[in-house]
Amino acid sequence: MEITKSAMAGSLESSDVLVTVAPGPGPGVEFKVESIVIKQFGKRIRSVTEEVIAATGVQNATIQVQDRGALECTLRARLETAIARAAESA
Amino acid sequence: MGGEAFGWEEKTLAGRAELAARAALLHSRGLTEPGDEDLILGLFDGEQLVATGALVGSVLEGIAVAEGVEGEGAAVTIVSSLIKQAVGRGMRQLFLFTTSQEAGRFETMGFSFLASTGSKGVALLEWGMNGIERWLAGLKTRTHGKPGNAAAVVVNCNPFTLGHRALIEYAASKAPWLYVFVVEEDRSLFPFKVRIDLVRRGTADLRNVTVLEGGPYIISSATFPTYFIRPAAVGGDASARAVELHAALDLALFRRHIAPALCITDRFVGTEPYCATTSIYNRMMEELLQDRDGDGPVLRVHEMPRLEKNGEPVSASKVRALIRGGDLDTVKELVPRATWEWLRSREAAPILEKIRNSDSRH
Repeated sequence: MEITKSAMAGSLESSDVLVTVAPGPGPGVEFKVESIVIKQFGKRIRSVTEEVIAATGVQNATIQVQDRGALECTLRARLETAIARAAESA
Repeated sequence: MGGEAFGWEEKTLAGRAELAARAALLHSRGLTEPGDEDLILGLFDGEQLVATGALVGSVLEGIAVAEGVEGEGAAVTIVSSLIKQAVGRGMRQLFLFTTSQEAGRFETMGFSFLASTGSKGVALLEWGMNGIERWLAGLKTRTHGKPGNAAAVVVNCNPFTLGHRALIEYAASKAPWLYVFVVEEDRSLFPFKVRIDLVRRGTADLRNVTVLEGGPYIISSATFPTYFIRPAAVGGDASARAVELHAALDLALFRRHIAPALCITDRFVGTEPYCATTSIYNRMMEELLQDRDGDGPVLRVHEMPRLEKNGEPVSASKVRALIRGGDLDTVKELVPRATWEWLRSREAAPILEKIRNSDSRH
């Protein structure tokens, strides 16, 4: 999946996560995770992010994940939406 | 509590009444309107404005939440929206300008602290994948192996004159290595590419000098927005205070991040005869970089008298004034060969034309 522009999904509100996807230098995807529960769930947030990146087949992108204590389903939804928006040709 | 977020309505503030309500909200929190906003957002609870925030270029500013609704997520809602708007406009790196006391609140929203002017002053934070650490890492790959105890000068060089050359030559003779940072913001009459190219060519013979881009962290529209405003607009006490504030922030950032990363211990500066903004900057430099209580290593500041020609200081503003007046013969005496040759080139013609038709400070 080709990332053509910067896009976001989610918010910084409590129990949500803000995901920013932008075209990157590539190859591959570089991502950064910040979380208010990084100690407890940092590993899981990273593995979910990696999983979604692999599943969507996104290439040459940077992804910023700013977690405010989102549930896993929220994180997945935000990641998928942000990636889909960034790949839209508009 | 969380449900209340659904009762808030967010909109772009535009009308006179809305802007007045916003000004009142900012004032009630001890803030002023930033000015030059590209976007002003407001959050309403019915008729009442409960929060506001603005985007000025790539800087989030003027963020305030009404008393009584704090802790209910209004600030987070506004900041999220501002970030989305900015990213939607293609920005990758954002800054946030706030009071030092409030800085911690924005750090929990994913902003990283850059510098402040003290616990009762103002603070600058940043957001995005390309932060200062990455920028400094990029610089370090180019400064690797250079000696420590290095010196730095920051120049705009609009355009590069014999005055800049004299300062650089002097600083380079006093230090094992000299970094010349050229202001990167493209808001001067001479484009950045031309300015830095002329500095590089005009200092190529100095073996212990490295010319670097100032990036978004040295006199940029994020660290020092008032630097780029015309002098007519910099009138009165309030704007002099704004210049001092921005100068202080710019210097705090230099001292906290840039100097330690490149092992810079000295900063050289030329006396400023014409420009009020630069002379405030120079004065603050002596004060803040040498202050023992500041954040980051103490630096030594050396001020060098301006090079004079025919009894007058050589400066870029003088050169621009001469170009404006059509006196190119005198310009030739004030600039290095590389600058002179460029001024005579075909590429220069449209820029010279622009200078003749402008009264911009830059």
